Amino acid sequence: MHWTEQTETMVNALAETQKQMWNNWVALMPGVPSPTDVYSDVTNQISEEAAEGFKALTAESGQVVRDVAERLLTTQNEMLRFLELSLRAWKAIAPKIESGEDWQTVLRNFTDNLREQLLHFPQEIQKAFQDSDELWRLYREQWKGLVQPWAESLRRAPWRVGQASTGNGPALIEFTNLYWDAYERTFGRLLESPSLGYTRELNEDLLKGFDAWLDYRRASFEYQVTLGETWVQAFEKFMRQRVALAEQGETVPGVRKLLFLWVNVVEHVFTEVFRSEEYIRIQGNLVNAATAYRLCEREIVDGFLKTSHLASRSELDEAYRRIYELRKEVKELRKAVHAIKGEVSTQASNEDAGGRPADLPRDTA
Amino acid sequence: MQFPQLLNPHDTACELIDLNHKVLKGIENLGRIREQDIQAGASPKEEIYREDNLVLYRYTPMVDQPFRVPILIVYALVNRPYMVDLQEDRSLVRNLLKLGLDVYLIDWGYPGRADRWLTLDDYINGYINNCVDAVRERHGGDPINILSICQGGTLSLCYTALHPNKVKNLITMVTPVDFHVKEGFANLWAGCDAGSKGMNFDALVDAFGNIPGEFMNLGFLMMKPFTLGLGKYLEMFDILDNEEKLRNFLRMEEWIFDSPDQAGEAYRQFMKDFYQGNKLIKGEVKIGGKPVDLSKVRVPVLNVYAEEDHLVPPPSSIALQRYIGSTDYTLRSFPVGHIGMYVSGKVQRDLPPTIAQWLKERG
Repeated sequence: MHWTEQTETMVNALAETQKQMWNNWVALMPGVPSPTDVYSDVTNQISEEAAEGFKALTAESGQVVRDVAERLLTTQNEMLRFLELSLRAWKAIAPKIESGEDWQTVLRNFTDNLREQLLHFPQEIQKAFQDSDELWRLYREQWKGLVQPWAESLRRAPWRVGQASTGNGPALIEFTNLYWDAYERTFGRLLESPSLGYTRELNEDLLKGFDAWLDYRRASFEYQVTLGETWVQAFEKFMRQRVALAEQGETVPGVRKLLFLWVNVVEHVFTEVFRSEEYIRIQGNLVNAATAYRLCEREIVDGFLKTSHLASRSELDEAYRRIYELRKEVKELRKAVHAIKGEVSTQASNEDAGGRPADLPRDTA
Repeated sequence: MQFPQLLNPHDTACELIDLNHKVLKGIENLGRIREQDIQAGASPKEEIYREDNLVLYRYTPMVDQPFRVPILIVYALVNRPYMVDLQEDRSLVRNLLKLGLDVYLIDWGYPGRADRWLTLDDYINGYINNCVDAVRERHGGDPINILSICQGGTLSLCYTALHPNKVKNLITMVTPVDFHVKEGFANLWAGCDAGSKGMNFDALVDAFGNIPGEFMNLGFLMMKPFTLGLGKYLEMFDILDNEEKLRNFLRMEEWIFDSPDQAGEAYRQFMKDFYQGNKLIKGEVKIGGKPVDLSKVRVPVLNVYAEEDHLVPPPSSIALQRYIGSTDYTLRSFPVGHIGMYVSGKVQRDLPPTIAQWLKERG
C-alpha cells in the first residue's frame, strides 16, 4: 500500500475511533451534558484537516518525519482506545463501590472478559494446531509460487494427516514418512529421472521445514499468551490503584495523565515478568525456534536457487569468506612491504650519511 | 457515598479537542521539516584514514594550541557514532574541542554482506590498532588518549590490554565489564543465567549471517516497551508546536533507529564470550589467539557511568576497578540514563570539563 493511502486509512480510523468515542461519551461518563453532535462535527473537521496536512508530507520530508507523523496518529488512537477501555471498566465497578457492594469480583469478571478477547487470536492458533490439514495449508501458502512445480505433487496428493490431531511436529513427520513410503512403493520407483530424484530431496526439506515452522508457531503462541496475560494483570493492577485513589477523593486530571500513569504501571509489571526465568526461557525459545525455521527456509531456498542456476546464500557466504581471507592476506602483505620499504629507506639514508650500511659489522664496511 | 469520576468529563473533552489541534499543528510543522534540517553532525571534520567501511575523522580544532596528546573516540558497533556530535548544543565533541582537545573519531560504517566473517580480532587488532597508528603517526608516534563509549569501551579495554604501549590514558564511558550483573536485561536475556535455555547465538549467526539492525532495535525497545513505544510519543504532544524541539526529537529518532547490521562472527564472539561466558573478567577472552588480561591495563583510567542506565547497569561498569592493573583510577557518575550521557544538559555542561581536567592533570 502506498504511504499516502496508508496514512489516509489511519486518519480515517482515528476519526472513526473518535466518533465512536464521542457517541459513547454520555453512556461512559455520566455527568457529561450530551453535545455529541457538536463533538462529532469537530472530529469530522479535524480528520479532514489532518488528511490535508498529510498531503504536505512529501518524499522530501524523509522517512523519519513520515514515521513520526504516523506514530503521532497511532499514539492518539491508542490513547483513545485505552481511555475507552478504562471508562468501560470504571462504569462497571463504580456503582458497586458507590453502593458498598463487591466491586472486586466485577473487576475480575471484566478483566477475565478482556483476557478472553485479547487471547482470542492465540486461541484460534491453538485451535489450528488441532487441524493438521489447516496447518499444512498455511505452511504451503508461505511457499506458494516458490515451490511450484515441486510441491504440486504434494498439493494434489491425498494429503490426509488430519488424524494427527495433537499438532505434534514429529508425529506429523511420521505421517509424511508413511506417505512417502507409500508413494515410493507405487509411483516413485517408476519415476527415477534426476529431476524427480531432486524433487524428493526438496520435498523432504519442505517437510523438515514444516516441523520447524510448527515449533516456531508454538513458541510464538506461548510468547503471545505470556505478553497478553501480563497486560491483563497490569490493567487490573492499574484499575485497583485508580479505585484506591478515588476512594481518597482523587480524580485523574486528564487523558494524557491517565496514560502516563498507565505506562508507569504496565512498564513495572512487565519489567518484573521480563526478569523471570520463565519469561527468559519463553523468549529464548521463540528466538531459537524462529532461527531454526529460518535455517530450514534457507536450505529450501538454496535448493531452488541451485535449480535456477543462481548462486545460493551458502555459496555466496563461502565466496565472501574467501574474499575476507584474501583481504586479510593483502593487508598483511601491504604492512610487510611498508615495513621493508621503511627499513630500506632508513638503511639508504644511513649509508648516505655515513657511507656505511648501519647493520654491517664495522670491519666489513 | 458519591463516588468520584475517573476523569473530569468536561476537562477531558476539552483536552481531547486540544490534543486534536496539537496533532494538526504537529503535522503542519512536520510537513515543513526537510531531511537536511535534521542532519546530525555539527562540527567540521576531515577524513584522515579509510579502511573497508571504516573512516577515521579528525575534527577541526577550535583552539590555536590544542592538547599535545590527541584523543581518539571509539564508539560501539551498535548504533552510529554521530550521537557524540548530534547538533551544536548537544555535542560532546564540540565541547571537548572548545576545551582544547584534539579529537579523532572512528566511524565504523555499515557492515555489509561481505563483512559477515569479520571477527573481534579484526576490529581490535585490525581496525582500532590501525586507527591508533594513523593518529600516532600524525603526532610523533607517541601513545595517545582513548575515549571509549559503551561496547567501544569493552573493545578498548581489550585493545589497551593487548597494546599497552600505544595508549597513554583510557576513558571508558557507560562501558559493560561484568556481563553477569543481574540488573541488566541485555545480560539476562542473552543468557547469563539461562545458558543454553537462553538464546542460541551460534544458530542466530548461522541463520542470518550478519545480525540485522532491526533485530538489535527490537531488543532495545523491548527493554522498556511502553515507555519507548507509547510514553515517549505522549510527551511529544508538548513539543508539536515548537519546530526547533521537533527537529531535536526527529534527530534523536533518526539516531535511535539507525542501527547498522552486526558483522556475524564478531557478534557471535561478543555474545558468547562476553555476555554468556563473562570471560572478560575471568581473563579467558582470546583475541587473535592471545588472551586478554585486564591486569595489563596499567594506564590511568577514568571510568564514567550513568546512574540510571538500563542498558549497562552501573555495577557492570563499576566492576572495572577490581580487574585492571591501573593504580591511577578515577570513577565518576551522572544522574542520567544511557542516552542521557550524550544529550542531557547537565552532562554536556559537566562531563567535557571533567574529561579535559583529568587529561590535563596527566599530561
